[in-house]
Amino acid sequence: MNLIQIDAQSWAKGIEKLKAVYRTFGPKKEKNDLEFKELQAGELPELHFQNTRMSPKALVYPQTQAMFTYSLDESREDCRILKEVKRDEKPQAAIGIRPCDALAFKLVQRNFDSREYQDVYWINAYEATTLVGLACDHPCSTCFCTSAGTGPFGEEGLDVLLIQQNDTLYAKAITQKGESLIQAAGWKSAAAKDAAGNMDALKTKAESEISAFVETDKLKQKKIMEIYEAPFWEAETFSCINCGTCTFVCPTCWCFDIQDETHGKSGVRMRNWDTCMSPLFTIHASGHNPREHKYERVRQRFMHKLKYYVDKYNDGIQCVGCGRCIRSCPVNIDIRKICNKMNSFDPQSCSCEVASS
Amino acid sequence: MKNLLEHTGIEPGRLHFSWISSAESTKFVDVVKKITEEVKALAETKKYVKTSTQG
Amino acid sequence: MTAYTDKIRQIASKLLTEGKVDMVIGFRKGSIPMMNQPLFIKTPGEAQELIWDSHCALNLANYVTNRKEKIGIVAKGCDSRNLVTHIIENKITREQLHIIGVPCTGMVDRHKVSAMIEAEITAIEESGDSIKISGNGFSKELKKTEVLQENCAGCTHRNPVIYDELVGELVPEQSGVDPYASVREVESMSPEEKWNYFEDLISNCIRCYACRNACPLCYCPTCFVDESRPQWVGKSQDPTDVRTFHLLRAYHCAGRCSDCGACERACPMGIKVREFTKKLNKDCLELYGWEAGLTVDARPALDTFKADDPQDFIK
Ligand code: SF4
Ligand code: SF4
Ligand code: SF4
Repeated sequence: MNLIQIDAQSWAKGIEKLKAVYRTFGPKKEKNDLEFKELQAGELPELHFQNTRMSPKALVYPQTQAMFTYSLDESREDCRILKEVKRDEKPQAAIGIRPCDALAFKLVQRNFDSREYQDVYWINAYEATTLVGLACDHPCSTCFCTSAGTGPFGEEGLDVLLIQQNDTLYAKAITQKGESLIQAAGWKSAAAKDAAGNMDALKTKAESEISAFVETDKLKQKKIMEIYEAPFWEAETFSCINCGTCTFVCPTCWCFDIQDETHGKSGVRMRNWDTCMSPLFTIHASGHNPREHKYERVRQRFMHKLKYYVDKYNDGIQCVGCGRCIRSCPVNIDIRKICNKMNSFDPQSCSCEVASS
Repeated sequence: MKNLLEHTGIEPGRLHFSWISSAESTKFVDVVKKITEEVKALAETKKYVKTSTQG
Repeated sequence: MTAYTDKIRQIASKLLTEGKVDMVIGFRKGSIPMMNQPLFIKTPGEAQELIWDSHCALNLANYVTNRKEKIGIVAKGCDSRNLVTHIIENKITREQLHIIGVPCTGMVDRHKVSAMIEAEITAIEESGDSIKISGNGFSKELKKTEVLQENCAGCTHRNPVIYDELVGELVPEQSGVDPYASVREVESMSPEEKWNYFEDLISNCIRCYACRNACPLCYCPTCFVDESRPQWVGKSQDPTDVRTFHLLRAYHCAGRCSDCGACERACPMGIKVREFTKKLNKDCLELYGWEAGLTVDARPALDTFKADDPQDFIK
């Protein structure tokens, strides 16, 4: 695929052009941190950063989403009839998304867009979105993408990959969607012949800067019940306060809760992100809670990501190694450590596992 | 109760407390009148009104 | 402060060897800078994992709620005040606890330090009053006093209020500090400005409830925000619901909060949630002369009635 070269001036011009065609999102400074926000006229996406605090999953799957409205007014003809909320399905573009976060959409797609179940809210929003990735030249010390199915220059899930070298950006279209975006932005000057080689060197360098890894090779062959009953759960999950931050910041966590909120005679059926860390997630109407204890809930999060998902889809873990849950957890629960424990767990020699950290 | 609400921007005069015995009917009437007037004077509140579920 | 580490290990190991406690709760070094992790140990051999430095800011009283064991617990000033409150509220008994008191000189504000540097901080070291942070291509010395958590900077109870033994000499208590400066600032605003101040403060709240869950006071079996029959507050990102959560969380801490700062530290979005609770702490002090968790021998201000309680809010 051809590399396109973009200088600072045509970058700014191109972004403005995109805003006419797409709702354009990019990392923006938000109170000491960066978040994906819609770019207003004249605003450029921030390009010097490690990653946004929240994952960009909300672009396709907002924390709160109104699905239907209804009326309970008996005098109205449409009383008790659910009416779909009109969604803005104008094409949108995420500029500067990291490769890990882009791959996450592919993982989440397995849940929202499967043969058994089609979630139109997610699917339509995803299809309307073009993902313009930004390769990571300085990965964080908590990033472990190279052992979670992607890398700082990973392309899977992206429509365009941008690579930064000094003040110049190089763009590589990966999909048809990406081609169209590049066209819409009017970026067309072909890069010099040696550029591709340079990019490969940058890629190798960035990959070598990744300093964190997880071992996942044995997860698949482990017996579910053996890991489930492993003795390390109680100690490893002790500090967890069940806040659910890890699941909210995670690009691959997809659980939600549907609620009706009625105000007087009208109401909204909405969905909100939910979290398996909350006792509320599993409590039954009877009051019985199958995941009554904290350790059971933490275990669920890791078992789902690192075992059930692995077994069900046979395509790696449900984690892209973005490291957000590690950075945001208030009590330092670290998925790398848990993953390695699960991967190396040997029920025959478990007594020493409990004591070691 | 009152202090934190006012601290976070609810106007003084929107929340009232009163101690009225069941025998003090005239006090009750007076207090209600006074509160009604004071709250009316503040006009309709825009704060702390949930709009997202009003269809 | 790191000299405490040896002492803590020594005490913990002795307590476990002698069978005086079933477990010791303390901190171990975290996997990323400024993040130590609460842990329990049950054997003397594990005592080597325990550490102490300026990143032990979470409140360990949070981890003893309703436990049945005999527990050795590492406690700085604020933790000890919450242990007192736990004892008063029957969440643990004094007899179950062996309190390893830590005279404290304050904890480092992780949000503040991260915000000071654009790049990622990959290492942090401290010696005495100086903190050295470093990362890819930079290193910087800071004075610890510049980067203290706000509640620590204004703290007047650095020494544990109850303990069974201490890990070091008591430290001088600070005087002339004003823990309520920011409350006063807000107090001087107009209602409109106050409203907007708090709107902005919580605008990026994701309702993860880390602030609530990091707090030792929040131990209700079902929190009002989680109740569904009836549902007191909506679960969406509607600003009214977000504010309701914050207001009610604060009310539920009234007269009980030790201003340990665990809520603020825990918040993944760096929201200054103490702006709510601090106002109530200030009122408790001014109206009732009450500070939470100083003694097990007095009932809390909002738990008692006195004929001379201020009541000019009642018309
Ligand atoms: S692992 Fe950390 S972020 Fe996740 S629920 Fe537990 S305390 Fe919160
Ligand atoms: S589990 Fe953690 S590291 Fe993995 S994708 Fe989610 S937030 Fe990122
Ligand atoms: S911890 Fe922060 S983001 Fe989470 S609910 Fe509390 S204030 Fe909101």
